Amino acid sequence: MSAVLAIVPFVPWGNFLLSSVSSSGAYKRQKVVLDMNTTSNNNANGAVAGKQVNVNDLTSFPPNGSWLITYPSSGDLTLDSQNPDTFQKFALIRLPSELDGSNKAASSFIAFSKVCVHLWCSPNYDPQKSTNAAFETYQCPCHGSIYQLPVKDPQDPSSLIDGGKAIAGPASLQAAPTNAIPMLTLTADPNGDLNIEPPLWDVDHNGVLGYGRNYQSYQNYILPSAEGKPTS
Amino acid sequence: MSQQKEQGNVVSRLYQWVKNGLDRTVYMGIQYTYPKRFVSPLGYLGVLTGMVFLVLGVTGGLLMIYYQPTLSGCGSLTCAFASIERINNTVPFGWLLRNIHYTASNAMVLLAVLHMYYQYFSGRFKIKNEVLWVTGVILGIITGVEAFTGYDLLFNQRAGLAIEIGSSLANASPLVGGTLRLATFGAGFTDFVLRLYAAHVFILPMFMLILVFIHFPRYLVFDLPVISTVVGGLFLVAAIFPVAVGIAYSPSNPQLTIPEWYITGIYALLRTEFDKFVMGGLMPALLFLMALVVPFVDTSKKLNWKDRPFFTALGITTIAQILITTAWGFYINPDTSLPTLSRLFIDPALYFSSMLGVTVLSFAFTYAFLRYLKAKERVRRAVAPMSPLLTKKWVFIIFLMLVGAQLALNFFAWTAALTNLNAMTLFDVGAILVTFGVIAHLYRYSQSLPF
Repeated sequence: MSAVLAIVPFVPWGNFLLSSVSSSGAYKRQKVVLDMNTTSNNNANGAVAGKQVNVNDLTSFPPNGSWLITYPSSGDLTLDSQNPDTFQKFALIRLPSELDGSNKAASSFIAFSKVCVHLWCSPNYDPQKSTNAAFETYQCPCHGSIYQLPVKDPQDPSSLIDGGKAIAGPASLQAAPTNAIPMLTLTADPNGDLNIEPPLWDVDHNGVLGYGRNYQSYQNYILPSAEGKPTS
Repeated sequence: MSQQKEQGNVVSRLYQWVKNGLDRTVYMGIQYTYPKRFVSPLGYLGVLTGMVFLVLGVTGGLLMIYYQPTLSGCGSLTCAFASIERINNTVPFGWLLRNIHYTASNAMVLLAVLHMYYQYFSGRFKIKNEVLWVTGVILGIITGVEAFTGYDLLFNQRAGLAIEIGSSLANASPLVGGTLRLATFGAGFTDFVLRLYAAHVFILPMFMLILVFIHFPRYLVFDLPVISTVVGGLFLVAAIFPVAVGIAYSPSNPQLTIPEWYITGIYALLRTEFDKFVMGGLMPALLFLMALVVPFVDTSKKLNWKDRPFFTALGITTIAQILITTAWGFYINPDTSLPTLSRLFIDPALYFSSMLGVTVLSFAFTYAFLRYLKAKERVRRAVAPMSPLLTKKWVFIIFLMLVGAQLALNFFAWTAALTNLNAMTLFDVGAILVTFGVIAHLYRYSQSLPF
């Protein structure tokens, strides 16, 4: 009896309630396929709904474009597109050319969660605002929180840092790690097909959806190298 | 024949058999009092809260049959919202059940709060032990959470706001924030709606039932006329002020909405834009903590509120503060040219100075009023014995008229139900229950009249 009681504190009983976020099993590597109802905010992406994303296709997926994707997918595109749970929705953004978005590599894409870490509204990508210096482009319609695209590292201009950090609005006033939006890890096949790697939903990796992400400790994991492996 | 006289007929023998079988069960353990004359319902507001809980249980159980705690598979709308629209618009009597359930939830919160304040001011809680008071406060908190989880299930704009507030409060807790939110709300809206459904329809009511059996006094006042009138009044309110399903929650189309009145205070606290956890978590916790320690601090033998000026003033302060905070919560700057955040902003300097001011005012007012009462205290005049208001004859005439009205109302309710006049049906059923309450009271009154 006492032996049983002794091990009780070391059994992770709480995992029952957290089961739906564990990365075992449910979250698999998945090809990036755009939703049927993806919003068209770029003149070239009208016909791409339901299409598999390829990093080499600069006409269908031009720099500074954004599309809606679902992760984890049910395997049925129609069902995915109708799924109203924004916790399974991500904005796939091809970075502007200024941020090397025209490179034919997975690093020219970024996938932000559609759930604002302030009050769970859905931010949207505005390509018009991408010309300002800070790339304040991912904005929430409810209370105006703005998340930035990654910016060039002042020490090393070839690498991008601090993507998804809130720089304006109530989300930017929240304490770390609740001031950066969670992201997906993207990699590319040898033939250029974009993939989503199984995420680790904790603040030091892909972030906790609707909660936040530690953008400083893990920025390298988020932007994978061109070889298709996360650089960490 | 003589044997039959001793044991009664089949029905009474069956009744006796069942009654004997129920001996020493929990149902027979509780002793009910049926008052022989009208007594103030303030003394048994707890029983009325329990009766409203029963109404909620019955209507809620029926609503469960059509409610779908899921999101995907109903087109662009969530299944949760779509199923409530279906209950409201197409399911026969669905509109009635939903409106009764909604109004009863409000009534239960209100009655629970009134019950607590009456026990507090009258000092009646001192007659019982501290455990009863503490379980009462816990029951009150669970009632609030139950109401909160209930209206989140609608998944309309208002529910969206409540979901956002609740989850961001959980997120804002220090150290455990993210894990706490994941454990309670789950990893997304799909988890969220199922978890809250489980909590709303089973987990929380079970806790309430367990606590209620501790909280029950040994003698329950079961006053049929008053209970019938309260439930009827509930139906009347539901019929006169029906609640709309609202607009489906959409995270990309934000709208300014105001939450239900019992959490508007927390909404106002958050809108001061101080630290979320301090304002939304610690401030309400302070109030509940204060309520919890009352029987351990107020240990004097005095019951009357006039003899306990400090605690009377404290109670009035909490009421005033809750009212002011709630009023702030309902205020949104009407200037639509301002950004949303500035429209919602409540100046903390103004807010906290009003809180402090009302505290000082409440104490000053209470002490001054009690001093005034003491100075004015006079010798009580002897009350002349009251002669009966009505004679038996008039009671009989009114009784007959009410029975006639009851029959007419039954007919009206029946025709209204046949012609799908939902609000009219509900109104008539409410009126039937109120009339029944009056008839029952009149009967009781006539029993006390001299021949």
